[in-house]
Amino acid sequence: MLKTALVFVSKRKLSFSKVKYLSPTANPQPQEKIQSFRSVEHDPLKHTYNHVGQFYNISKEDRNHLFNYGGLPKTYLTQAKTFNETCVMIRQPTIDVIECLKNIDYAKPAVRFVIYGKKGSGKSLSMAHILHYANRSNFLVVHVPWVGNWMRRCQEVSNSDTKEGFINLNVDAAAWLLHFKTQNSHLLEKEDLKIAQDYVWSKREKTEKGSPLLDIVNHGINRIKFASDCVVIIADEIKKLSNSGVCKTLVAIDGFNAFFYPNTRVFTEKKEKVHPHKVVITEAFLNLTKNDWKNSAVIVTVDEIAVAEEDQISHMPRYLLGKEGFEHLDPFVPIPMENYNQKEFKSVMDYYRDRRWITPYPGQDEEVSALSANNPYNLIKVCAPL
Amino acid sequence: MATIKTLFNKCQILKSKTPLLSTFIQQNGMSQYPTYYINPIYKKDALEALIKSGEDQNLKHIPTRAALNNQTCSTAHDDLVNLFVNYVMKDGLKPLARDLVAQSFESVKRLQLEKYHKCQSEEEKAKIELNPKTIFYTAINNCKPILHLTPIKRGGVRYQVPVPLTDKKSEFLSMKWLIAAAKEKDSTVRFHLQLARELIDAANNTGRVIKRKQDLHRQCEANRAYAHYRWS
Repeated sequence: MLKTALVFVSKRKLSFSKVKYLSPTANPQPQEKIQSFRSVEHDPLKHTYNHVGQFYNISKEDRNHLFNYGGLPKTYLTQAKTFNETCVMIRQPTIDVIECLKNIDYAKPAVRFVIYGKKGSGKSLSMAHILHYANRSNFLVVHVPWVGNWMRRCQEVSNSDTKEGFINLNVDAAAWLLHFKTQNSHLLEKEDLKIAQDYVWSKREKTEKGSPLLDIVNHGINRIKFASDCVVIIADEIKKLSNSGVCKTLVAIDGFNAFFYPNTRVFTEKKEKVHPHKVVITEAFLNLTKNDWKNSAVIVTVDEIAVAEEDQISHMPRYLLGKEGFEHLDPFVPIPMENYNQKEFKSVMDYYRDRRWITPYPGQDEEVSALSANNPYNLIKVCAPL
Repeated sequence: MATIKTLFNKCQILKSKTPLLSTFIQQNGMSQYPTYYINPIYKKDALEALIKSGEDQNLKHIPTRAALNNQTCSTAHDDLVNLFVNYVMKDGLKPLARDLVAQSFESVKRLQLEKYHKCQSEEEKAKIELNPKTIFYTAINNCKPILHLTPIKRGGVRYQVPVPLTDKKSEFLSMKWLIAAAKEKDSTVRFHLQLARELIDAANNTGRVIKRKQDLHRQCEANRAYAHYRWS
């Protein structure tokens, strides 16, 4: 469908250029004026360092396709609703990662990127931009919108049948499967994603070798009891498929450090606290973030908000991941998310004024910059009543 | 100062002359400032105007109070909004009151922008006011009553007599009514959202607060026969 659309566009362009205008007044003038804060390029494949600090628009179809079941922060969503468009700023660290993804040798083991930064500096949105890129360049996307949703506010807990002493998060796992299915619908429909071995769920239920990966996803969604096991199996199968070169995979996990933070809010029936490693789905994503496979890239964010408030001391990966987590990810490429610089700040303020969000007054930029300390989230809060 | 006074009292010297001592010391109630201290001028433009007119020379050597912690030289600072925050405040929880008013301004903007994006033509869009402060000012202006009723006793009967209001009093009433209307809501609706709706309604000369004002005016009109009791 995408191809046909492209052909259609190019045809239209051709016909457009063939028309000769007899007088200059008949020539239609471009209606939109050029705005320095708005990027001309809305395709993440073509974003370069020249576009840093500008806003680009995520089309409605892409947004529904990628972020229908989470992936964009709540504050940002309300903002996008009021502005009547989903615009994301192109930022330096994001372009760094995208350039890396373009130039990586995928025959080598997976490269791990760790995005870190202070609260509200734009880690999740940077991740969203990278996901958009990955989706456009036909990566199989394995995206976890927010690990904190599982470890700190899970919906349902039950004991695992397959593994002794482990915990299933049935509803959350099924929700994730649905998210995975919608994000990769165009890839999963292809025939070549096939599973490498038989899986026996119960006496009557069985998935045979050679059936498509989509079967397992659907099985997990329909039989919630097996959802967690399905996630583990899918992770394993994706690894095998990538290794054999069938697909390219991008693993994106937001709030990864929650997998290594013992103080969870998951409780057993006896009200005992469950360590994240005792949750079945954790295994799948720890498996995916190892570097023992190729044809893939791994991007994780570590976030202070994924841990309890009393432990939000530092935003550095070593503190948040702990010794165990750090050694699990080592070696990785650290990507720091900074607050806005001068250029980006100017761009945001221009964008807000263009969207009629703030009423300009003299000396506004300096004052707001000082009040919000150029932090993106703080800036939203400070600009709200202006 | 108080200690000095009590000391004098204890020693029985000058006991009769304590009031005289007070005038000399110029104690100003519980305030830490004596009465001759003047209020600070904390706004940049007011200060510049003073310097331009040369009046600052007169104030130069008069002792001045320190500015209060809510008096900033920010251009976004607004006296009327500040007053409104004080009226919203309960139990001295000023940060909460300030947040509520700020949030309600945010809601005003969100509601108005939603309407703005729904409009098809540019003319319709130009009609919609998006500045929350302008909406706030018009709302308060629109809700100000001119008259109200006071009970006055004449011949053993209490009459509800229509009496004109001062500007300050009517401003107070209009703010009080807006807050009261915002509090009258379902428990599921947030105060700031309801306040935003009331502000927008009042700015458009519709809504419950405007109705309350008109009801009061109607009653005043009905009781115009008692108007002379105000002075006779």
